[in-house]
Amino acid sequence: MSFEIPIGPQHPALKEPISLRMTVDGEVITGVDIRLGYNHRGVEKLAEQKTWIQNIYLTERICGICSHSHATCYVQAVEKLMELLPPRRGLYIRYLVSELERVHSHLLWLGVAGHEAGFDSFFMYTWRDREIVMDLLEMISGNRVHYAINTIGGVRRDIDEGQKAKILEGVATLRKRSEYYFAIGANEPSFVARIAGVGMLSKEQAVSLCAVGPVARASGVARDVRKEDPYAVYDELDFELCTADSCDVLGRVVVRVKELLESYKMIEQMVRNLPDGDIAVKAPRKAKPGEAVSRYEAPRGENIHYVKSSGADKPERLKVRAPTLGNYPATIEMLKKGFIADIPLIFAAIDPCICCAERAVTLVDAANGAESIVRMSELRRRALARAKNAPVKGNAVWPF
Amino acid sequence: MRIAAFLPELLRHLFKKPATVDYPFQKLEVPQGFRGTPYLNPEMCIVCKSCERDCPAEAIEISDVNPAEKRFKMVIHNDRCIHCAQCVDSCPTSPKAMQMDSLFEIATDDRHNLKKEWVYVRAVLKPKAPAAAPAAPAAPAAEPKA
Amino acid sequence: MAVLRNLLYLLVYPGILFLFVYSTFCEWYDRKVFARLQNRMGPTHTGKFGLLQPIADFFKLMAKEDIVPEAADKGLFNALPAVGLAVVSTAALLLPVWNFDLGQPGWTSFSGDIIVMLYLLSLPTLILFLAAWSSTSLFSTIGGARVLTMLFGYEVPLFLSVLSPALLADSWRLAEIAAFYQKRPILLLANVLGFLVALVAVQAKLERTPFDIPDAETEIVGGTFTEYSGKKLALFRLTFDIETVVASGLLAAVFLGGFPGGAIVGFLHFVVKTLFVIFLLSCIRAMSSRIRVDQVIALSWKVLAPLALVQLLVSILLKGLLS
Repeated sequence: MSFEIPIGPQHPALKEPISLRMTVDGEVITGVDIRLGYNHRGVEKLAEQKTWIQNIYLTERICGICSHSHATCYVQAVEKLMELLPPRRGLYIRYLVSELERVHSHLLWLGVAGHEAGFDSFFMYTWRDREIVMDLLEMISGNRVHYAINTIGGVRRDIDEGQKAKILEGVATLRKRSEYYFAIGANEPSFVARIAGVGMLSKEQAVSLCAVGPVARASGVARDVRKEDPYAVYDELDFELCTADSCDVLGRVVVRVKELLESYKMIEQMVRNLPDGDIAVKAPRKAKPGEAVSRYEAPRGENIHYVKSSGADKPERLKVRAPTLGNYPATIEMLKKGFIADIPLIFAAIDPCICCAERAVTLVDAANGAESIVRMSELRRRALARAKNAPVKGNAVWPF
Repeated sequence: MRIAAFLPELLRHLFKKPATVDYPFQKLEVPQGFRGTPYLNPEMCIVCKSCERDCPAEAIEISDVNPAEKRFKMVIHNDRCIHCAQCVDSCPTSPKAMQMDSLFEIATDDRHNLKKEWVYVRAVLKPKAPAAAPAAPAAPAAEPKA
Repeated sequence: MAVLRNLLYLLVYPGILFLFVYSTFCEWYDRKVFARLQNRMGPTHTGKFGLLQPIADFFKLMAKEDIVPEAADKGLFNALPAVGLAVVSTAALLLPVWNFDLGQPGWTSFSGDIIVMLYLLSLPTLILFLAAWSSTSLFSTIGGARVLTMLFGYEVPLFLSVLSPALLADSWRLAEIAAFYQKRPILLLANVLGFLVALVAVQAKLERTPFDIPDAETEIVGGTFTEYSGKKLALFRLTFDIETVVASGLLAAVFLGGFPGGAIVGFLHFVVKTLFVIFLLSCIRAMSSRIRVDQVIALSWKVLAPLALVQLLVSILLKGLLS
């Protein structure tokens, strides 16, 4: 019995809208089709109408989890364009927040992986401990999600001795907890049974399908921008590149937990060796004509921002390549020949950030494949016309 | 692999106090420097409009009320505010005319309730150095026209 | 007068009203234990300690809009929740709490009632499958297929493990089995293995983690219940609550020495023992992740069934030794 089941655009396993159409034969998946474009927000177009400063906060809102990644990547590109060199203390604080964000993102992911596998206790415990790092971030930046710590030419807030002590204390607790979760993730039989050998992606496939981040590293591809192309402070830090060779979801769990432990190491190094001095240099309001590309290792993989300036106080073009976009082709490969039960786990294992990856929408005529450009007003008219033809539903009646 | 690997940890927490904070009945302190709601300190505002210019959400609006009296109106649209505190960073006066308080429970059922207004006379700040005295009031006055 | 008594018996105690109150209490207890194991609060604000939360949930669902899919088999779709509730409530009447008197067996205690009970507990599974199938949704269909696949896995170990103490007690009547073990409590230790197997099988029957495969929300939305809403969903949830009580009562009667001591003390035994079984079920729920349906079958036939057979062997050998 072969039929097609729609996972999404609305589905409990998906936190954001995307459509995965699975052709299944009983419980086994035989075909996969991914459809994007449900949450296009026009961020890149909007960025062309805002000033360099305003765009920091706009790029920060590309993603809710790796908000600092996008803002930092953008700021790096703009600093390259303006030929600014942020002071070392500023850089240390910026990448300290970066690593704290990686900790919060990976802990969040561990919880989500537990939840997708129905392991709710694991989810509750990891998220409880994630509060520690959220509180640290709130203490440093003044907000839990959109830290807004970056400014062009440095950071906006300094950290003092009391905060340093709190960060070290929080990281010590988190290290203990992460080691414990590592033991649980590798030992609880029902959880291991669900993730071992699921969503296989061989090393060759990972390379040819351009997988990024933990997905590539779990397939044995040692690819990390922090190591390959060390930006800012990363060549001064002592850390290891974490890989796994099992090529499955278990490998992705292992890579992420190992990265957590490496991040703690980096945070401690940065807090202990925090240089003195200013935290920011003054930035000009306009940038010289030119273009710049910046790479950044976000928790989900390599993030790329391209900025082009025409000499005005606004960018002429901003292009964002979010890491999730790089992982979609690999996801299709991983889902094939899996079970229905594995869909949420395999899809969650790339740590999808769907809205980040929604960069462009093309309207294609289903009948002849012709592409067209349609104005917003026309789209609205079509939507209203379609809603008018929908069957009318009676009002609910109060039963008592 | 160990059967019931997680059980000791679970049982250890059975009679412990839950980690949850019973939120509306019990509140946590926000840390110092929390970015809450922006507000204006009208005595300090020199109407340079740099907050209006830099606000990424276009939440700040400054308009003339009476140009002869140098009376201005500032509206902060809190429904648009993204709480980034860029206005505080952009504010050139010292102490800052734009400030953030630590309020975070500002939800309401009508977005118009979130609008805050100040009508005030432009402040003329005493210059720090006497040499710069004529320049200081002139510069902010020129900028609104630009 | 006798008719009135029987009516009270069916409607109030131990009938539908008592079952409603006690099963919602058990749901509250299960939720609270589950939450505490996870360092959470659990239901807190509805009633004292959140005791009324499951009842509030029930009435909330009763008040919600009730949608029947157009393509569904309407008769079957509408009737099944009520049938399911009736079946588990009937099974509850067979528990040896309200018919403890061995000398005067009531009309709900007879030789062979343990078999009837097991069959009545199997029926909700079939009803779930029919409900899933009749709602014609893709997710329901997959859920229904999973319900039946799982049934073939856990049913045999459950029957084997529950019936082996009965074999040792040489009776097919629950009250007599309980009385046998009350006289010789030491023999209960011989059934520990069977108790563990039955516990896992009951967990699977109640479709709780790690066996919540038919309604795994992250995989197939609501699974069997995808198309159910409002009153019918409320009835299904109540069915599962009552089934939890009945199944834990059955395990308590067979493996934990029943409920001795007449109406009052026996009832206390019933409460304590069912809550103990539910506590164990909650622990299993909290400490494991959901497994795949093929893994359920492998677990049942490769681990549970052999263990149940060992238990059966132990019972037979022990019986020979005793006599």
